[in-house]
Amino acid sequence: MNSPLKFSWQPELQRSSLVVGWSGDASKLGAKVTDYLNRKLGGQSFCEIEPVEFFPLGGVAIEDDLVQFPESKFFLCPRQNLVVFSGTPPSYQWYKFLNLILDTAEHYCHVQELHTIGGMVSLSAHTAPRELMGVSNSPGLKAALSHYKLAMGLDYETPPGQRPTLNSFLLWAAKRRNMPGVNLWVPIPFYLVPVDDPKAQRRVLEFLNQRFDLGIDFSDLDEEIEQQNQIIAEMRHSFPHVDESISMLESNLRPSEEESQRLVIETEKFFREKRD
Amino acid sequence: MGIILYKEPKLEKPDMIACWPGIANIGVIAIDTLMGQLGAEELGEIEPWDFFYPRRVIIKAGVLEDLEFSRSKFYYKRLESKDLLLFIGEEQPTDGGRIYAEGIKAYQMANLVLDVAERFGCRRVYTSGAAVALTHHALKPRVWAVTSRDDLNKEVKGYDNTILMSEIEGTVDGGSITGLNGLLLGLAKKRGFEAICLMGEIPDYLSRAPFPYPRASKSVLEILASFLRIEIDYRALDEMAVQIDDIIDGIYEEFSSEIKERLDQRKSIMQAKPETITEEDEKWIKEHIDELFKKGGSADEQPS
Repeated sequence: MNSPLKFSWQPELQRSSLVVGWSGDASKLGAKVTDYLNRKLGGQSFCEIEPVEFFPLGGVAIEDDLVQFPESKFFLCPRQNLVVFSGTPPSYQWYKFLNLILDTAEHYCHVQELHTIGGMVSLSAHTAPRELMGVSNSPGLKAALSHYKLAMGLDYETPPGQRPTLNSFLLWAAKRRNMPGVNLWVPIPFYLVPVDDPKAQRRVLEFLNQRFDLGIDFSDLDEEIEQQNQIIAEMRHSFPHVDESISMLESNLRPSEEESQRLVIETEKFFREKRD
Repeated sequence: MGIILYKEPKLEKPDMIACWPGIANIGVIAIDTLMGQLGAEELGEIEPWDFFYPRRVIIKAGVLEDLEFSRSKFYYKRLESKDLLLFIGEEQPTDGGRIYAEGIKAYQMANLVLDVAERFGCRRVYTSGAAVALTHHALKPRVWAVTSRDDLNKEVKGYDNTILMSEIEGTVDGGSITGLNGLLLGLAKKRGFEAICLMGEIPDYLSRAPFPYPRASKSVLEILASFLRIEIDYRALDEMAVQIDDIIDGIYEEFSSEIKERLDQRKSIMQAKPETITEEDEKWIKEHIDELFKKGGSADEQPS
């Protein structure tokens, strides 16, 4: 069988870093961050993974009236020696898929370090700061990251009935080949999961900007954050029950399940109307 | 993708017994009990990462320590009568959300198991699973047998409480064995092994139950013990059966009197031509079974 890796051109890099984002996490944080990096840094696609071995392909999904088709692409931001992978999480053959990412990174781009991005659902208010958490696969990298604003003291075991994230699987696969890496996690307020969370995006991007000296100007993202804050303020003003639920979260209180569900639905609806 | 052997003991034409989880884990519990009683030693395992999505990550102080996968392990035991290779898979590899393996991953795993069998000079392979039957939980489960050759069929028929699949009402034209417990049998035949599958009966109305059915595991184990000419202590299985019987009795009591009447008839006619539950009854049981089992209080995990 032919290799599922399809190169449009091969980059020539002596040393680089890899940033990985998936389309399936909370608030699509991974995909949003990788898209932003590619847009700001002029990332050019040079390789993709053919979907046939990894996705059911028994049809297509439709989201917001748009056809969704699995995409797994590598981009090169040449001036910064940064390789960006943006992809749909595979449905099966996970280990093979993850190794294709790492093979490309290692053999064609001489990647020295892996960074993955993930959003996780949080019972917090949108006004709360987004704490950036890191999980590394190497004590050496953990030490090297100690002077960044990154919480790296997590103790965690997957609870029964749940499965590890694909980012954990990737980090473990990288560890097997001695590639240091770090999973970056940002908590996303649960009612922002169906919409964007530019504040969370900025938090990850700030770290990457500092880590790789990317020189990104975030004024566009700041504007987006400001716009979102205005929309939420308007929503709070229009719907007292929404304001009440968010106020509870701001006071570290937990709204009831029913109130929480309502908050998610109202937020998604309000944002949709605003953007239409 | 490969096999990791921890050691390479000299074994004399061992038989292999292999099993993966399936309905009520009938085969796995039988083989697990056998291994425990024999004090079988670990032999090796199949590398899991090509077959499974991990089931647990362990992170300590911000560092990923380990990722755990379902195991697929080999064991061995030298017996006076016969050396033995054992294999238990904790999960069937699937290409997506199915419970039972099929396709290339299943084929690869079955071949790896048989590679180990071949390496140690094994000639006979047993697999085990469940036979969903029109029986009653008060009856002793029989063991349905399928083999790869006529002479093996004759041998199997010589054991008590064993019945060939063709002798079962409604299966004259054959049937199928789903997942790896079946596929291994087929591949074993293809590769020239003697292959025997032993399936413990489970009543149709319990086939979706989220708990084991130790009575059937015991029936399977009794046949295996006969094949291997060994003595087994069944007390642990009997104790488990008593507990499960209580749960089943509680659930059974909640069936409508019409359904119970039809099912109870199965006891008296001794399975010669058991009464099938009607489509309506089946629909009712399917619609209510999860709820009934929940009331039964089992904490066993449903395969997902």
